[in-house]
Amino acid sequence: MAVAVSEVAVSRRPVWGKRARATINSLVAIILALLVGAIFISIAGASPLPAYRSLVSGSVGSEFAIGQTLIQAVPLLVIGLGLALAFRARVYNIGADGQFYLGALAAGAVAIGLPGTFGPLLIVISLIAGALAGGFWGWIVGFLRARWAVNVVISSLLLSYIATYIFTYVIRRPLRDSTASGLLGKGIPDAAQLPLVSGFGVHIGLFIALLLVPIVGYVMTRTPFGFRVRMLGMNPDAAQTTGVNSGRLIIVLMVISGGLAGLAGAIQLAGVADRLDPTLSNGYGFTAIVVALLGRLSATGVLLAALFLGALNAGGQAMSINDDVPYAVVLAIQGVFVIFLLVADRLARGR
Amino acid sequence: MPDGRVSSAAANGSSAVIAMRAVTKRFGDLQALGDVDFDLRPGEIHALIGENGAGKTTLMNVLYGVVSRDAGTIEANGKQVDIRTPQDAIELGIGMVHQHFKLVSTLSVVENIVLGQGGHVLVRKRRLAGVAERISELGERYGLRVDPWAKVWHLSVGEQQRVEILRALYRGARVLILDEPTANLTPGEADGLLEKLKAMVRDGASIVFITHHLEEVLGSTDRITVLRAGQNVGTLVPADTSTGELARMMVGRAVSLGGRSRDVAALGVEVAAAADRPAAQAAPTAGSQAVLTVERLRVFSDRGELALDGLELSVAAGEIVGVAGVEGNGQAELEETLFGLRKTAGGRVLLDGVDVTDEAPAGLLARGVGLIPSDRYRRGLVGQLTVAENLLCDRIDKAPVGSRLRLRRKAILARGADLIERYSIPASGPAQLAGTLSGGTAQRVVLARTLSRELRLLIAAQPTRGLDVGAMESVWEQLEAARRRGLAVLLISTDLDEVLALADRCLVVYGGRVIAQWARAQLNRDAIGLAMGGAQPGGRGGDGTDAGLEAVTGAG
Repeated sequence: MAVAVSEVAVSRRPVWGKRARATINSLVAIILALLVGAIFISIAGASPLPAYRSLVSGSVGSEFAIGQTLIQAVPLLVIGLGLALAFRARVYNIGADGQFYLGALAAGAVAIGLPGTFGPLLIVISLIAGALAGGFWGWIVGFLRARWAVNVVISSLLLSYIATYIFTYVIRRPLRDSTASGLLGKGIPDAAQLPLVSGFGVHIGLFIALLLVPIVGYVMTRTPFGFRVRMLGMNPDAAQTTGVNSGRLIIVLMVISGGLAGLAGAIQLAGVADRLDPTLSNGYGFTAIVVALLGRLSATGVLLAALFLGALNAGGQAMSINDDVPYAVVLAIQGVFVIFLLVADRLARGR
Repeated sequence: MPDGRVSSAAANGSSAVIAMRAVTKRFGDLQALGDVDFDLRPGEIHALIGENGAGKTTLMNVLYGVVSRDAGTIEANGKQVDIRTPQDAIELGIGMVHQHFKLVSTLSVVENIVLGQGGHVLVRKRRLAGVAERISELGERYGLRVDPWAKVWHLSVGEQQRVEILRALYRGARVLILDEPTANLTPGEADGLLEKLKAMVRDGASIVFITHHLEEVLGSTDRITVLRAGQNVGTLVPADTSTGELARMMVGRAVSLGGRSRDVAALGVEVAAAADRPAAQAAPTAGSQAVLTVERLRVFSDRGELALDGLELSVAAGEIVGVAGVEGNGQAELEETLFGLRKTAGGRVLLDGVDVTDEAPAGLLARGVGLIPSDRYRRGLVGQLTVAENLLCDRIDKAPVGSRLRLRRKAILARGADLIERYSIPASGPAQLAGTLSGGTAQRVVLARTLSRELRLLIAAQPTRGLDVGAMESVWEQLEAARRRGLAVLLISTDLDEVLALADRCLVVYGGRVIAQWARAQLNRDAIGLAMGGAQPGGRGGDGTDAGLEAVTGAG
């Protein structure tokens, strides 16, 4: 969590020289990461060049591959936006994975429980239910912090485990799909599933995610609320002294970031999984932390970082299927990429 | 400086212990030092004065090897030397006591003194015992007594300073640099320190003394060098100058402090004269309604000790009440509690008769309470935001600069520029980042933000700490103006001169309660100094209430 919240002043313009340096640094970082990754792949007994070819073709090589990248990017983007907002105030919610699962669970329960007569409204209702559930889980963390100064990092992480186990319990007992051979929850009705966009095979959750980018960006940089959030992150003492109610603000931020994580879970359920699946998340709640930090806590930055990590996810899956690279190695390579990029970013900013 | 008394540095070069020639230092675009000559003669106390940012500390940091010079030479005892690190300086017998002490608070005094002396992986108890003996010896000789085995965090500010000086002496310093050594001491402690320095000088040491207090400079130094904007504007002998002239040299123009149009010469020197204020500005008539009333306030400090223990005070409209006292007697907790930043453990706070105990800062702001916080960088400003944003952050959602859902960037800049002009803030513009402001300018921003609100009560905590004479003048004028506008002003300050210059009534806090108070006409520097020490100068831990203070008289 040591990556500092970026300092964004209302009136500053980016300096070109700095930006050019940042780009060069990023390119060097990617090349270095590819080299280190090649070593990993060789050790695992595969050959690096074909593996990297799969990485590229599996993420941007075809319409299908691009679709896979976008599908991977949607949950990262939705969660990452909420985390970026909270991280600006140094409210380090790292329990998004649990909030994601709880959102999916609430959305699924509503979709399965309500009669099919609601039609397309069922989608809206279940998405709202998901956001509310995630938001409630975040609220608990914020309330504990505001009332008894309980550390947000610790309580959000521990509550995340509780949420995950609640999800597992529900699909084991009340909402178990008894016809499935493994451990799976019930499927949601067709009416609650998100329609697909023609062409790329992506669900319309993509548009919800893209719509959130300018909204969150506006809130962060152009509203008094966003101003107070930034102030709280930059100097909590000064914020409090000039009238910011820090306790209330922390609660609101936890509700928003939890709510967006819950919404992401509901979207993932309705758009990709179609049933309460224990592997629904694929670690999105944790990868989204990286997305938020890599995106320098700005809305457009989060968009780019989500696309990048989405591509790594999609390409990495292709790599492990086509080239016999173990998935653990794929994850290690992703980690190498992120570390090199974070270091490059840090160096470009110069300390 | 076209002044006949200014000595030519070169002429005295041969007899100097330290001779710095044409020292130049730049920090980016800022010229911190430009061709500065400075020399220190054997056995003298040499004062170095100047405004904030004039380069006093930078010059001495160059001498001590903390800052590298861009050009210029340094001679020690007539030989050219190259000082690159503090280690080099220490080997040449130069010691420095920084303004902010460099001590490890969880270690003992002896451990702090041997710390950083290389060559020993393990610190042996026996070796420490030898060091402790030597420290006691040195302490005895110069009246710098301190328990060598005490942990530093148990020590008072004055005692920690003694440890710093002892460390320099222990390492064999013959040249001692003291950066604002009297800033946090009571008047009594400061006088004591000056006596001790004189004893060291008699033993052959040479001392450079950086300070803001012009009075000290005239009273106890042999020569005075004034820096302004990185230039040496003159070296003088105290007998030939005055506080007025020194202030003019520092600022580059004539200075008058306070709305009472007193000359800077009176800065703490002629306190008695301040009592004869024009009748029109006299303290409010008896019986006027108290704006702020504090009853039996009890508050715990961060360490869990009772920091305020039954404190009582009241402030009426149109009155400045000064709270004097040595740092650490509850001032910080009083400031925080009155602004809702710290919870009370007992007692009440009334604003215009309404109970506002434990109300949050937002609510107090809405009720017309303003705070000039003692730590202006931590509580007063957000360094990464612009000056305009800092000026308006408490009203950012109100017209004209914003609404609930929108910030108007242009309006923020325009309104910020407006306030910058109205309050004469020497910032480069509304878009300058607050973190790049000098101390005086930063404080002007805080004052402008606070005073441009509708206020009933202004709490000013250490409002001029670390500020130069020019900035101090502006702050004092604004506090005076606030009083004239009918605000109730509570001035919490460890700077006794400031309290004496401004306050209509003066309270002294000691051990978390008010142990003495005086009306303006009865202000007496010695009595206040005595009370600040708990009426037992040098005594610690005594109970202030039974200290036999004769001056405790309700007044006003």
